[in-house]
Amino acid sequence: MATNFSTYLTAGVAAMLLSACNGILGNIYDEPAADAVSEYGFVTEATTTSPGSIYIDATNYTVWTYIDFKSMTTTALDVNAPAPGSWDIAIHRYDAKTNGGEVMETGATSFYSLANVVTPAGSDYISDIWTETTIVTDMSTMMNGYLSYAGSFYNPELSKWLNVDKSSMPPIYTPSNKVYVIRLSDGTLAGVRLANYMDALGVKGYMTIEYMYPLKL
Amino acid sequence: MRRTFLSLVLLSPSLIFAQSSSLTKAQIDSIEKSWEVELNTVVVTGTRTPKLLKDSPILTRIISETDIRKTDATNISDLLQLELPGIEFSYSMNQQVSLNMQGFGGNSVLFLVDGERLAGETLDNVDYNRLNLNNVGRIEIVKGGASSLYGSNAVGGVVNIISREETNPWRVNVNARYGAHNEQRYGGVVSFKTGRISSATTMQYTSVDSYDMKNEGDYNRFYGGHNWNVKERLTVNVTDKMKLIGRAGYYFRQRNAQAASRDRYRDFSGGLRGLYTFSDEDNLEVSYNFDQYDKSDYITITSKDVRKYSNVQHGARALYNHTFAKRHILTLGGDVMRDYLQTYQFTDNGNKRQITADGFAQFDMNFVRNFNIIAGMRYDYFSEAKMSHASSRLSMMYKLPRVALRGSYSGGFRAPTLKEMYMDFDMAGIFMIYGNPDLKPETSHNFQLSAEYTRRLFNFNIGTFCNRVSDRITTGWSQALKGQVYTNIDDVTISGVDANMSWRTDCGFGTRLSYMFTYEKVKKGQPYTSSTRPHTATLRLDYTKRWKNYELMAALNGRFLSKVKVDEYTSVSSYEETQRVTYPSYMIWKLNMRHSFREGFDLTMAVDNLLNYVPEYYYNNSPTTNGTTFSIGMSVDIDGFFRK
Repeated sequence: MATNFSTYLTAGVAAMLLSACNGILGNIYDEPAADAVSEYGFVTEATTTSPGSIYIDATNYTVWTYIDFKSMTTTALDVNAPAPGSWDIAIHRYDAKTNGGEVMETGATSFYSLANVVTPAGSDYISDIWTETTIVTDMSTMMNGYLSYAGSFYNPELSKWLNVDKSSMPPIYTPSNKVYVIRLSDGTLAGVRLANYMDALGVKGYMTIEYMYPLKL
Repeated sequence: MRRTFLSLVLLSPSLIFAQSSSLTKAQIDSIEKSWEVELNTVVVTGTRTPKLLKDSPILTRIISETDIRKTDATNISDLLQLELPGIEFSYSMNQQVSLNMQGFGGNSVLFLVDGERLAGETLDNVDYNRLNLNNVGRIEIVKGGASSLYGSNAVGGVVNIISREETNPWRVNVNARYGAHNEQRYGGVVSFKTGRISSATTMQYTSVDSYDMKNEGDYNRFYGGHNWNVKERLTVNVTDKMKLIGRAGYYFRQRNAQAASRDRYRDFSGGLRGLYTFSDEDNLEVSYNFDQYDKSDYITITSKDVRKYSNVQHGARALYNHTFAKRHILTLGGDVMRDYLQTYQFTDNGNKRQITADGFAQFDMNFVRNFNIIAGMRYDYFSEAKMSHASSRLSMMYKLPRVALRGSYSGGFRAPTLKEMYMDFDMAGIFMIYGNPDLKPETSHNFQLSAEYTRRLFNFNIGTFCNRVSDRITTGWSQALKGQVYTNIDDVTISGVDANMSWRTDCGFGTRLSYMFTYEKVKKGQPYTSSTRPHTATLRLDYTKRWKNYELMAALNGRFLSKVKVDEYTSVSSYEETQRVTYPSYMIWKLNMRHSFREGFDLTMAVDNLLNYVPEYYYNNSPTTNGTTFSIGMSVDIDGFFRK
């Protein structure tokens, strides 16, 4: 009888041990590597009918990433370094600024519905403002009770693309999903929409920006 | 009485962990009727062998199936807070649930389901949502260290959730509950017992909406979500002497904290246990246990579900009992466990593994009539921490006709976890948290004395306890590393008094009043940083009246938590300045009424937070309530309508 017992038990245990040592059912999850974007910059080019895509690493608090729609280039520079010769908008974490441009938030949540949105009057475009209390350059000083900032221009309208509610820890991130129309300093229009603020692993600070340039309204 | 004890000892092979009782329902009923209060319940957690509650030198608190129904609780945290003083579930960062039980945190209280430990943790706490109360038979709580039987984590206590033992030929139950904030609960049980096979399949789904809190606070919004929990348990009595119990479970929880992502938690569990009775004196249990707890982020933008954490535990155990001279029981056992952890908190989302092995022995001695001694010893080894630890216990009980006196020493310890040894985590750019492979184990020496008086339907017990905890593991600021690092800290002494009174009348009234005083001693001149509330109490008044085809049960449950003044450091990188914070006292009352028709249909109505308590400021340890809420539930035992 004892032999029977051990036979039953051994068979049962062996069946269960077939489950992998490091776990089972790993295939129910998505592999982040399959979606990982290895290149930063202009990933796809916009056409006259469909938006293109820009992917930037905005995880570093001490970096502005400058985007130039005309030359389709991105340049990452230290917050204290002078801006490059030609650029249209720049991103620091979730903050955004323009190169002398103005921004309007539309009601559209995709470029395909942008045509249905009534074009507001020119006064709805918002210019950059100077700030010394927005562009955080060092979170670690929070340990000493303060945050370190860099003085900079900042566009509050374009920065609405991601609301970060810091009243709780971790903060609550709420993307607006809206298309923003930017009137560049040369009078041409660009359209941008923040499609994602995370990488394939869910790490925040990796910005996927849909864009159209030049934008015809 | 002696005869009852002996019969239990002889039947013990099939009662291991009380899931395999060969006592018939009639026998159990007859034992219970002979003792009129719940002291007659068979408990297993304190000794790993079945003992009547009143005969156990190790003080064990039982929450019975009837108690659970009286509280209308959904999960373990709701229930424990309503039933026991000295227990508080609050929030830590990111609204993760955190336990404080008599000054011990979630990682120092061992939670078991049918005697098996649980994989996975978040901020030092297991996922309490896994521990739903669908088809739970009873819950046993042993306070104080219990590492001589259970090893690591049993520093401050053990909570063992034991599945309902199937006694009916078949049972089909469906239940549903609806409450405030669109809180929904649906459950079902299908079970049968025929010949040598019995099976129980249980399912539960719960959901609740997110909602804003009424006032400002450390948190201002409750994150809603939904849970699934499915379990199967199959018992086969292969022969009269051999029994096999197989089980499998799946758990899923989704929390809706962010707009663009969902926090997901899954658990896959399974196990096989074999019980073999060689003779009236000898029995053996061999078991295998598998538990995998995963966390993932579901990104709604990309519809991708990416896993970021996986804890996989494979464990095997052997447990042998031998009874000497029909009254002394020797228990010998050992476990081997493989612990695998992959987490986003390790360098490059890496993984670590550890093998733990242990052996234990316990001798339950009854040399002198009415005097019971239990002595136990356990030795644990951890491969990755390269450490070992020995734990011991000595518990005694002396019984007078109506009084039981108990005294106990027990050792507890907690080995450093893989997370605590190898963490390498950037905390939102604010600071790093580093693991420490050189951590020492956290240890505790626990002393308890108690006296219990029982007369018919009245029971009163009072006890005092003292825990000396050394080398507690926590994080501290390292100037050299410019970050938080896991470290062992100074000794802490936690002591207190625990008193319980329960009384029932023949005409259906019952009451239970429990009070606990907890005091954490700190060195003179040191800040008092513990947020353990010194005074806590719970009260239940209930009334049950039965007519021919109808039963009414009304229960009023209340809990009171005193205010606590805490010295909190003003900076995490410097331990020089503190500020005094006072967390206010509060009490919460819940009224629950159940109407049962024809032993098959229950209608339950509950009013929670009767006095409409709303925190002025929501601290992390304030109750998550916006005021009085109502709920209504129903439960149908379909088999009940076919019973005569």
